[in-house]
Amino acid sequence: MRIFLVAFGIGLVLTGATGAQAYHRFWAGCNYDAPTFMTTMTRDAAQDYANAARYEGYQWGGGCWNYDDRDSYPNDAPGDASAHGEGGDCSGLTFKTWRESTDQWRDGRYYWRALRNVHGPYDAAAFRDGVGAPNHVVAKATAGVMDAFASGSHIGMIFSRSLYGGDQIVEAKCEACGTNIFYRTYRSDSSYGGVGRWGWTG
Amino acid sequence: MGRPSIRSLAGGAAGIAAGVVSAVALTSISAAGPPPADGAPPVIDAAHVPPLLTLPGEPIRLRYAIVCTPREDGKPCDGAGEVYARPGNVGVFQRFELRRGEESKDGRYYVDLPAELASSPDGFSYYAVLRDESTGASLTVPSGGANAPQLSVPLRAALSVRLGRHEFGRLRAADEQVVAARWGSALPQVGLSGSRDLGFAGPSSFDVEPDGTVDLLDSVNGRVLRWKRGREEVVPLGLTAELADLAVEPDGTFDVLEARGSLHAFRADGSSKWVQKLAERTWAKLVHGPSGPIVEQQPSEEWLPVAEAGSPLATAAQADRGRTGRPLGNGHELLVERVGEGELRVADATANAPLRAWRITSETPLGEVQLAEPHGRGIVVATKAYTDERDEFVVLVLDESGIAAQFSVASNSFTETAPLARFRLAGSSLYRLRTTQTGTFVDRFDLEVPR
Repeated sequence: MRIFLVAFGIGLVLTGATGAQAYHRFWAGCNYDAPTFMTTMTRDAAQDYANAARYEGYQWGGGCWNYDDRDSYPNDAPGDASAHGEGGDCSGLTFKTWRESTDQWRDGRYYWRALRNVHGPYDAAAFRDGVGAPNHVVAKATAGVMDAFASGSHIGMIFSRSLYGGDQIVEAKCEACGTNIFYRTYRSDSSYGGVGRWGWTG
Repeated sequence: MGRPSIRSLAGGAAGIAAGVVSAVALTSISAAGPPPADGAPPVIDAAHVPPLLTLPGEPIRLRYAIVCTPREDGKPCDGAGEVYARPGNVGVFQRFELRRGEESKDGRYYVDLPAELASSPDGFSYYAVLRDESTGASLTVPSGGANAPQLSVPLRAALSVRLGRHEFGRLRAADEQVVAARWGSALPQVGLSGSRDLGFAGPSSFDVEPDGTVDLLDSVNGRVLRWKRGREEVVPLGLTAELADLAVEPDGTFDVLEARGSLHAFRADGSSKWVQKLAERTWAKLVHGPSGPIVEQQPSEEWLPVAEAGSPLATAAQADRGRTGRPLGNGHELLVERVGEGELRVADATANAPLRAWRITSETPLGEVQLAEPHGRGIVVATKAYTDERDEFVVLVLDESGIAAQFSVASNSFTETAPLARFRLAGSSLYRLRTTQTGTFVDRFDLEVPR
């Protein structure tokens, strides 16, 4: 019994190592449920979905958040997917908001709930290039609500056009800025291209 | 030390395994994020682009997006609402019920204003009360409601300016490069952070004082760098300000508009004066108003003062003082509206009546209006012409003949700034902020004063 107790203590200490801690951070509360297949997908429902992710943080390579309006794991190391903190990254938020499949050849509509941890197969550059059956390139001048602007390193969705010619963009921007709606000028920036999702139903 | 028995080895292995399992379970319980907040107030938000400057006979459809808590069935929210509108900017509001359309690309909820109201010679003013019927949550847009309604002004006798198709590559060189600073943290270097994968951050905004002093918000190093009559100065602020905007007040106060929606005022020595939250969720630009800093905000698309006479205003007071036009020091307001793909409407107005107005059309799409400022008896506008592959800033000096001067300047920049912080006007000069792989530069372009 004494040996068991000593070894038990060693096990506890070993598990305190950083890697195990990181792996079981916010993602430990996420799930891997199947998405719900849907026949409809409207732009304003997508606005609802992305808007609800505001303040929930940012995680490079992530796609899982709750709705408590705060980043449960702020100040993670930027660009470190192993931090397993709360929030999507820019392409993860877009993938879930656009109800896409993890299979690039499927163009159906798959509703992923907030705590479902999924990033999807696309990074910002892939979205920009219209990669995947559900995605396509659009002219920036005609891009509308819940279309997106993507560069080689970032993507943000149009929450609304604005009076001064910029756009209100809903985006998971960075670890420090989190997920929010910001005024941006991506539309006229030649490092960004316009990208859209096929299959809106209203 | 005796030889370990099979039994003791097995006990040790079991102990380690149990320890690991227990710790993992405990860590998961303690470190997992909280579940969705059941008791949280229901979400309600909105988007609306006001028809600020209307053409004679133009039908007016007011459109709203109503944004709510996401539904379990993935459908849009069960929205509803009313618009309260009246001719001009005084009198009793009439109530109009919003209709629900099939499409949501421009806002699912709409009302068509009757022609007699839409074509009122004094324009019209209005606000909306929006609801989510399933939760009862409601929102007024603009947030000042009847105290600060949105205003729409008829664009009569506007001077027509046709820009035609933009010719890329015909750039005007700067008259002088007034700031050149390398990346770094020493003086007078400017901080750079980020990576190729994540994008780079550098100085997020700047301002130019009437005597030509350039103040640069060195966001990464948490300070303001000043170039004053050939000397460099540093004012430490003690905060890193990601993509914040900057305005310097006449008394030397540095107003820093932070990305998360708070205005932080610092004394001339960099010590903190006060912090005030903005009334609305999103901001576009910080400028000097007649009695303090004002911020263009969304969803109202109004200019809201954040402080008056050096003291911050509570959010309700900000909302009640919102104006559709940007207040100028002479009692006038500057109204700016980008319409469609390539049209820009600008008016210098007082009491709902444009004194001077311009309708600018371009065959090449126009982007954001970076700057619109009175200049002599004219208006200076810095906007952008763009295609899917190229973009350049276009500077227009508008006057009573239409357009007094026009030139293009390069728009490329290595780092991102606050959204509408690339230009400042001081005296008869326009200043542009840009960055390259080597550092930060501020360039001066001298303008002729329209008579």
